[in-house]
Amino acid sequence: MRSADYVVKRILFAIVTVFVAITLNFVLFRAVPGDAVSALRCRNCTVAFKEIQRRELGLDKSKWEQYRLYVTHLLRGDFGRSLRTEQPVLGELWAPIANTMPMITLGTVFSIVIGILAGVISAWRRDTLLDKTGLYTALGFYSMPTQWLGLLMVFFVAGAIGFPTSGIRDPTLGILVPASAGTVIVDRLRHMALPALTLGLSLYGEYALITRSAMLETLGEDYVLTARAKGLKNLPIVWAHGFRNALLPIITLIALSLGTIIAGAITVEYVFSYPGIGLATVEAIDQRDWPVLQAIFLLLTVSVIVFNLIADLLYVKLDPRVVDQ
Amino acid sequence: MSPIPPTALNQDAAVAIPATVTSPRFRFLRSPALRKPATIGGLALLLIFVLMALLASHLEPYNPTVKSGPIYAPPSGAHLLGTDDSGADMLSLVIAGSRVSLIVGFAAALVAMIIGGAVGLLSGFFGGKTDMVLMRITDYVLVIPDIPLMIIVAALFGRRLLNIIIIIGAIYWTSTARLVRAQVKSVRERTYVKRVRAVGAGNTRLIGRHILPQVAPLLIANTVLTVAVAIFAETYITFLGLGDPSLISWGKLIENSFKGDAVLNHAWWAIVAPGVCVTLVVLACTMVGQAMEDALNPRLRVGHLSVRRFRLRSLNTGLSSE
Amino acid sequence: MITRRLRLAALGVAVAILAAGCSGGKASTTPSASGKIKKGGILRIGTTSYIDSLNPYNYIEAQATTAMIMIYPQLVQYAYTNNAFQIEGDWAKSWTTSTDGKDWTFNLISGAKWSDGQPMTADDAAWTINTTIKYQDGATAEMAPSVGHVTSAQATDDSTLVIHYGAPVGNALAQLEQLWILPRHVWEPLAGAKGNGLKTYRPEQHLPIVVGGAYSVKQYEKKGTTEFIPNPNFYGPPSNAQAVALTYYTNSDPMITDLQHGQLDWVDQVPFEAVSVVSKDSSLVLDKVPGSETTNITWNSNPRKPKDRELLDPQVKKALSMCVNRQQIIDVVFSGYAATVESLVGHISPLENPSLGPLQYDCTQGNQMLDQLGYTKGSNGIRVAPATTGQYAQPAHEMSYEIVTPTSTDFNVDREFEIVKEGFAAAGVKVTQKVGGDSTAAYAVETGDKCDPATSTGYTGFDIAMWDWIGYIDPDFMLSVVTKGQWCSWSDTGWDNPAYDKLYEQQGATIDPNQRKQIVYQMQQIIYDNFLYTQLINEQLIDAHSKHWTGMDPNLSGYSKKYYTAPYQTG
Repeated sequence: MRSADYVVKRILFAIVTVFVAITLNFVLFRAVPGDAVSALRCRNCTVAFKEIQRRELGLDKSKWEQYRLYVTHLLRGDFGRSLRTEQPVLGELWAPIANTMPMITLGTVFSIVIGILAGVISAWRRDTLLDKTGLYTALGFYSMPTQWLGLLMVFFVAGAIGFPTSGIRDPTLGILVPASAGTVIVDRLRHMALPALTLGLSLYGEYALITRSAMLETLGEDYVLTARAKGLKNLPIVWAHGFRNALLPIITLIALSLGTIIAGAITVEYVFSYPGIGLATVEAIDQRDWPVLQAIFLLLTVSVIVFNLIADLLYVKLDPRVVDQ
Repeated sequence: MSPIPPTALNQDAAVAIPATVTSPRFRFLRSPALRKPATIGGLALLLIFVLMALLASHLEPYNPTVKSGPIYAPPSGAHLLGTDDSGADMLSLVIAGSRVSLIVGFAAALVAMIIGGAVGLLSGFFGGKTDMVLMRITDYVLVIPDIPLMIIVAALFGRRLLNIIIIIGAIYWTSTARLVRAQVKSVRERTYVKRVRAVGAGNTRLIGRHILPQVAPLLIANTVLTVAVAIFAETYITFLGLGDPSLISWGKLIENSFKGDAVLNHAWWAIVAPGVCVTLVVLACTMVGQAMEDALNPRLRVGHLSVRRFRLRSLNTGLSSE
Repeated sequence: MITRRLRLAALGVAVAILAAGCSGGKASTTPSASGKIKKGGILRIGTTSYIDSLNPYNYIEAQATTAMIMIYPQLVQYAYTNNAFQIEGDWAKSWTTSTDGKDWTFNLISGAKWSDGQPMTADDAAWTINTTIKYQDGATAEMAPSVGHVTSAQATDDSTLVIHYGAPVGNALAQLEQLWILPRHVWEPLAGAKGNGLKTYRPEQHLPIVVGGAYSVKQYEKKGTTEFIPNPNFYGPPSNAQAVALTYYTNSDPMITDLQHGQLDWVDQVPFEAVSVVSKDSSLVLDKVPGSETTNITWNSNPRKPKDRELLDPQVKKALSMCVNRQQIIDVVFSGYAATVESLVGHISPLENPSLGPLQYDCTQGNQMLDQLGYTKGSNGIRVAPATTGQYAQPAHEMSYEIVTPTSTDFNVDREFEIVKEGFAAAGVKVTQKVGGDSTAAYAVETGDKCDPATSTGYTGFDIAMWDWIGYIDPDFMLSVVTKGQWCSWSDTGWDNPAYDKLYEQQGATIDPNQRKQIVYQMQQIIYDNFLYTQLINEQLIDAHSKHWTGMDPNLSGYSKKYYTAPYQTG
């Protein structure tokens, strides 16, 4: 099959999967015992009032009709209203999303940087103690529950380096005197540092292993051996080549790891009280705020689908062999 | 020329299975991959924890559900791992917790194995439309983010242990399915299978007598890997408060330390102990499962999109080709 | 049920509430004995309770109450002097009552202004009261109890407010303490059809809010930091701090750590797991006051409940309660900072009936009682309730139940449950924990979806719950939660007893304090005898602050503007 056909195929697949996700979302939340109105914060709601609410939310219609309404609203960007605040859900989620994005970006950057470093060192000193230590450390961190790692960070690291362990900002910054942009950025970064580091540490294992194996393959190839036999100074070429070899899987891995990163972000934000989308998820569960939970889930799923699509397309560009799968 | 390097994720469809796997089916046990000290260490560790779980009630020095010492007492002669925020002995709690954590791990992995195995088997054996439909479904399930889905299903449908097991199993079967499918496909092409078919053997006989035995070892190896994922997932869910509140598990112990302000009380023992256990078991399962898979079929590729967390199979060069 | 989150309605005054008005002394910000108050500085408060709303018609959390007290004028507030709570004036300087007790006249501080410069007059107060009455069955229901029995209010001039009651009310001032006065020129245009706009308005989304109290809100973050800046137009004693920053923490660990490291000045409630750590820290000052929160076992007492009707028998409930080790709860869950309690009303109220019970911890007797009542133990050690006949006939069944617990408590409810579970197990009854979600979600489990007092529908979906109540100084509110009138609203027992309801009406209208006390005592005895709740413990309220600040009075939490305005830096 040609590349172009493959691309089209993958895009179509992504679109269909989005619809599957939307449907799954709808089914899941409709299957909840009780409906949206029953969980409504409704101190003095009479049964009559609840009936009116039901009608307004369309809960008295057939499932198909509700589904149709749900999808049409979604396409308009209407995710419904939070049961707790009665505000449009999407509006409530912007701030958490804006908080989470830089943090997980930072975390991913950490994991890539640490991973590549570890992988390179391991490959360089292959089969030595350094190599084995590096590998097992990477695997070890990878096997740790993220929230546990976070707690260890809080316990052993936070105090030692004086970084804050909760929230996103210093409460007194800017109260009486407006704070400069620089101070604000530094403050945000300090609050992001530990959660991002936790995330990074728990995820770098994969990158370390890929980098290492990519390096090793390159080092094992014939032309390299030839070059070495000829006594050529191979370091720059080899490492550059090996590195490039690793680049494709690394990039693809980033795109595919979104699901894992999000999972890690949820627990990290919970441990560090970081007001992002992960914490919002936990709170929505606690408050039984189904519309919010539904919206978050849909957003996460669609993001993962989109990133998978990006990974797919990257693949086609960088390694056309995949098209014949 | 050198073979196509198995860089992670650069994988095509199923490749012919090398000779190590035809028969007898347990020849793989002699593979060098399984002889490595790391693998043996992992196996030993796993065995220790399984024994701990089985003999839990005999090993616990105290009853983990009652207060047997002061609150947040540091490790001492009387309490080797100290006590938690309710004065219960930490060592006993950890031993008791191994039960639930391992049960969830193995049970959920079993569920995943059954579902994944069945899907893969049917898909690979019948091919055609069945294959297409099942693989499509697998694709969809793969793409949906696992942890959020688990959290939501747990939140919606309750926190019983059985629910947790089913939820975990119902999400992590996909890679198993793909692996099994690839394996089944190549086995199906074997000549002797064609001959058996020509003789008139029915599908069930074929699957049961000839294909399944070939697939089984790989399935089991994959399941060991899934155990790691399942235990991991259980600690996630429990930490967010969605676990079964009446059961002690390692995940619950970590949650307790968080809620009980262990950090503030400098009670590192309440935090470190359960986490170390989870890490060790997950590590052990990963190494053992990885090694088993490598020994069985080091070159089986299953597509670049089947990478989920812990699918280090694709990164096998890290451990086994040293 | 219901934590300090759900403050509403009638607060009463303990001492010195007489029909003839007393002129509350306007207490000023008294400096400490050493004399000097250093003004300025940012008072940084840490809390694990957040402000969910600044709309008095639509909030749940107790922290919202505190915030609204700071920003909106009230007629009266509480002072805590000589170990007793007294009503004192906030915006009202003084007040008088007519001889029949039905008309109250309040003299307000004149020349007051809203933060946007508009004059703050009695008309605003009258409008607020009348509007609240007008929509009391709908949009304004949440603040309606503060003006219970009020027929109308009017402003006879800019600083005189007259409130007309339909019948003389004994605790009028206590109720009015829960009234927040809103700026008419801002809120009236929002009312909309049936006043719904009043309920749905989110003032915190439209900063700057027009305020008349001690502070205005400069920044609001529901789960972050809310900043209060002193309102220059405030009629009362101004804030000593230059600003107040209230920061919400989802977990108490970093909050206490920040307090220890000087990043916070004050923690408004120290969680019990952290008390031992804080008490050992010499740089912090720990304040303990008798708290108003009591924890309980809530028994579904709906006389029409279809299942497990053996739990309607007070003797059964008493027997089971006698197996619960309350001292262990005090030690393990509250680190010793609690006391046992018998009355629903709690130790905070001077009208607490001291001669109830007390409930003995005697499981032998508890087991005997259950044996005698005919609940024999099965082979697995769990008692069996025999089959019954009649309208609500039941088959024989094991005494095995679920206990609903909320996630939003300020103590470790899981640990408390474990102790109760152990106790019940010793009595041969098995219980499992059902996590109900936060306050609202858990309450919905108790009442059911289709709760309706008119048809007596509801309270069929649970047997037992464990929760807490914030007691009030005046017992009116606590006594009301077991009336039929509070079905689907504040009631979580689903009890339905017309004789009791009559007593409730009676005590509300009794002016003579001694007579009222008798009725109130009697009502507490009835609640106790029927074991609608098994009261477990009464928490202490513990707060901590750094040595750089002083002047905090934890007693005033949720009762007075001085809670924030009084503290000052020591230097």
